[in-house]
Amino acid sequence: MSYKCSRCKRDVELDEYGGVRCPYCGHRVLLKERSRDVKEVSVH
Amino acid sequence: MAPAYDVEFVEREERKARFLVRGVTPAFANGIRRAMVADVPTMAIDEVRFIENSSVMFDEQIALRMGLIPLTTPPEGEFVEGDTVTLAIDVEGPGTAYSGDFVSSDELVKPADLNVPIIDLKDGQRLEAEADAAMDRGKSHARHQGGVAVGYRHLQRVEVVGDRDQFEDEEPHIVRGVIEDDGELVPTSEFDHDLTVRYPGKEVRIEDVPNAFVFHVETDGSFSVEELVTRAIDSLEQRARELEDAVQL
Amino acid sequence: MELRVTESSENELSIEIGGEDHTFMNVLKGALLEHDDVSAATYDMNPEQSGGQTDPILTVKTIDGVDPLDALEAGAATVREKTSALREAFEAA
Repeated sequence: MSYKCSRCKRDVELDEYGGVRCPYCGHRVLLKERSRDVKEVSVH
Repeated sequence: MAPAYDVEFVEREERKARFLVRGVTPAFANGIRRAMVADVPTMAIDEVRFIENSSVMFDEQIALRMGLIPLTTPPEGEFVEGDTVTLAIDVEGPGTAYSGDFVSSDELVKPADLNVPIIDLKDGQRLEAEADAAMDRGKSHARHQGGVAVGYRHLQRVEVVGDRDQFEDEEPHIVRGVIEDDGELVPTSEFDHDLTVRYPGKEVRIEDVPNAFVFHVETDGSFSVEELVTRAIDSLEQRARELEDAVQL
Repeated sequence: MELRVTESSENELSIEIGGEDHTFMNVLKGALLEHDDVSAATYDMNPEQSGGQTDPILTVKTIDGVDPLDALEAGAATVREKTSALREAFEAA
């Protein structure tokens, strides 16, 4: 899962042990990045 | 007994026209109008694959905007319902993504207007997507509707019956559409839709001319007015033929 | 276009015309009424919201000695004549 730290704006990879915390600056607010998958939408 | 029709253009442009048809029944006139609005198929985007969308709007909202962009529709016979054309777009902010930024895989199907804004992109925002356009009828969704502002009015005959009373107040006499004056067709816009401008001090009588309808047809750019009208007629004719064949068996 | 006869007698025919709407039905009805051997022609259609029968049902009544099915065929032919005449007139303009 890729996130972005809301304070230092660096990309963060989370694993199941580290908890929710930026490893570079220690900030606890992380923003989830949009998935790189192609999203298919039909027009309604 | 083949009916005798007479068609006469009052205004004629690529995407907008006004024409008079004499000899049609109201039922037939309305059938043509309805066919133009709902039964003539046009191309429109109905599936979008988003590769990147970092704009402020959701994918679904942008997909709807893309769907509503008029696309040119290829000549009859080139395409059948079910065929698709892919259009790609890749725009990076700052700037606005326009319909003209679409690159089509087929020269025959491309945005009819190049200046339809899709979304405003700020610095660093990007829109990259691939869209599939398909052929369908206006009946299924407004994005497939080729005729916009399609309607008709009776042709109105105006006759001068005498002079207006000397002391009568001059009140505007508003008429809209096209009038027939001694065989001459005059759009009411020429005299500000006011009969007292054209016939000052006269008393006039106006009446609907039976079975004479003035059609006003505007297309969204998918095709010309002539194409739209002939395709609407074709669609009615094809159904009549289908019914005839089915009943014969 | 799917046809289903719902009622049929010597001078009257009720037929369901699948997939059609007012666009074609009213034109067809108008064409049928122009024929002298058709004494009555009408169609019935319900809106989608009604949840019931939504395909139009056309009913044709004819004068004695005329098969309503033949009248229907003639009606469809009339519509076809009208469309080709209008196309011709339009293209000439």
